[in-house]
Amino acid sequence: MTGTSMLRLRRILWAGLVAAAFATAAYAQEDVRCLSCHGKPGFRKTLPSGQVLELFVDPNLLRLSVHKDKHCVDCHADVSEVPHPTTPQPVNCRRCHYNGNTSGAPQLAKYLEFERSVHGKALAAGNPKAPTCQDCHGGHFILPGSDLRSRVFRTNIPQVCGTCHLKIFAEYEASIHGKALAKGNPDAPVCTSCHGEHNIEKPEEKTSTVNPGHVANTCAKCHDKVVIMEKYGVNAEQVATYEESFHGIANEFGVLKAANCASCHTAHDILPPSDPLSSVNPANIPKTCGKCHPGANANFANGRIHIDAKDKSAGIVYWVALGFKILTLSTLAGLFIHIGLDLYRKIRNHQKAGGAKPGAPSSEIQP
Amino acid sequence: MSEAVKKAWSDQDTRAVSEIVQQAASSALQGEIPPAVTEDQAKRLRETLASALATEVALDVRRAAHAFFEEERRREKDAAKERAKAGKDADMVERLSLHVRLQHMVLFSSCILLILTGLPIKFHEAAVSVFLIDIMGGPDVTRVLHRIGAVALTFIGLYHLFYCLAFEEGRKTFGQLIPKPQDAKDALHQILYFLGIKKDRPLFGRFSYVEKFDYWAVYWGMVVMITSGYILWFKDVTINQFGKFVFDIGREAHSDEALLATLAIVIWHFYNVHFNPHKFPGSLTWLNGKITLREFKEEHPLEYEEWKASHDKGSTP
Repeated sequence: MTGTSMLRLRRILWAGLVAAAFATAAYAQEDVRCLSCHGKPGFRKTLPSGQVLELFVDPNLLRLSVHKDKHCVDCHADVSEVPHPTTPQPVNCRRCHYNGNTSGAPQLAKYLEFERSVHGKALAAGNPKAPTCQDCHGGHFILPGSDLRSRVFRTNIPQVCGTCHLKIFAEYEASIHGKALAKGNPDAPVCTSCHGEHNIEKPEEKTSTVNPGHVANTCAKCHDKVVIMEKYGVNAEQVATYEESFHGIANEFGVLKAANCASCHTAHDILPPSDPLSSVNPANIPKTCGKCHPGANANFANGRIHIDAKDKSAGIVYWVALGFKILTLSTLAGLFIHIGLDLYRKIRNHQKAGGAKPGAPSSEIQP
Repeated sequence: MSEAVKKAWSDQDTRAVSEIVQQAASSALQGEIPPAVTEDQAKRLRETLASALATEVALDVRRAAHAFFEEERRREKDAAKERAKAGKDADMVERLSLHVRLQHMVLFSSCILLILTGLPIKFHEAAVSVFLIDIMGGPDVTRVLHRIGAVALTFIGLYHLFYCLAFEEGRKTFGQLIPKPQDAKDALHQILYFLGIKKDRPLFGRFSYVEKFDYWAVYWGMVVMITSGYILWFKDVTINQFGKFVFDIGREAHSDEALLATLAIVIWHFYNVHFNPHKFPGSLTWLNGKITLREFKEEHPLEYEEWKASHDKGSTP
């Protein structure tokens, strides 16, 4: 280490110290010790595997994060000596982030949800690819989800999830939802809108928001809201018409092999029917329906899929429904009138006959 | 003769004595008393004669009495037969053949099964629908049950057509079920009677306009339900052949006609055969095909007259 660089480092450290002294009294001596190494840009280590471990920490970013009052060892609690005799372990956020903590962390127990999630289970099972808190929330620059710069701010979520779920991220980016998000649309759903956050579960789990039995409810969070749907010219009745269809009814009664929204519209690369790439584009309908209805041909697109028989848009089905409505009402009206008149006559005859037991053989019903 | 009598007496020959007495008696009846008979013999003779006559008379009386009572009994029996022939009001008359009853039984069994497994699908939001589907074993079971009902209904529909063509009874019954102008007149007449404008009821034949309506309503319902049902059952074929909209029409028709048919059965048919004050809690006609003579006369007077004429003729030896 040259003298000039030492000088520069000292200057930085002093500047940092002064700034920290003004910013917060908690900026303490031990952080300086840590930053004597970790505060150097380019401080990194090459692991035997060839992987490069970035060990530089920008103290300014930490000071801007929600943990600005924290010291290095508040989180890196296993570090007490420099140089570290053992490899420091990943930070355990649960030291503070539990319900009833006294360290000023939010009184939430998200880690409990996380433990039950697919990610938490994988982590507990020792899967090295399983994400920890830091994988989504970041390490030193953690910001509230409402902060635009936060990794978990709504518009940043797809990239965060996409870090691991690369293929799905690519599909999502190309979908109507992904495109809308890219345009800054505040209504556009991100990964967590459908999958949940800490409580993400496999679709196979019964309690998952994307379980076949719950997909319609999850989509309905937006798609049966007229206020949202009318902005994009999408019919808000699609959920209701699905629920009235044989697919929807079977699904409701627990037949999960019956189609749900995602079965036809796909889960991630959802596109409007007008798009030639859409799974519900008329040209692609035979293939999409053919997944469950072997041999489906172009006639599957001959007629609407989401049918509301009470609406004129249903075409001939509307007229069939109307015809049956008229037939039913007029038939029942006629039958009720006939029964009413019959009873009226029986009561009158009964009264005339002087109240003999109705139904008994008597002259009152003789012609 | 007196010698013969004396000898018979002395020989204790009762047979000879009785022969002599009989001879004497027959002579006596002709007014000839044998001169040789003593006073004592004559007295004994008269006693025997009287006793014989008394026995004869008693036997005659008994025979006569027997004949009298016999005659009386016979007459009573004939009268009862006569009465049975004329029929009493409470007597049951078979109006519907076993052939027809069996068709009706298959029809209503399959309808009940179809309604129980079908309507919960239409009214899927109702808690009772979920309950019904659950107790029947879930949607995968009810789907199969519904199709079993469908096959039974189709079978009985086709069998009925066969019955109407191939059987004498079927051809006759079908002919009687064809609506005629008289039915419209009868309906109007009946309404006027209900309203009190006409004092008498219309006289119905074998099938009144009410029964004809029931029959043709079932006919219409069967055609709609079976056609649309098979469109739904073989959905992939129908959509591939005719388009998704055909399936949608089938579904709408199946759903709407199901409700119409169920309501018609529950309200109209049940009123006529169960809840009508004269029928409550239900007639057993579906089982034994019989109605009482009183109902017969009241509800089908023209058919009754016809039946009576043929019945009387048929029972004459």
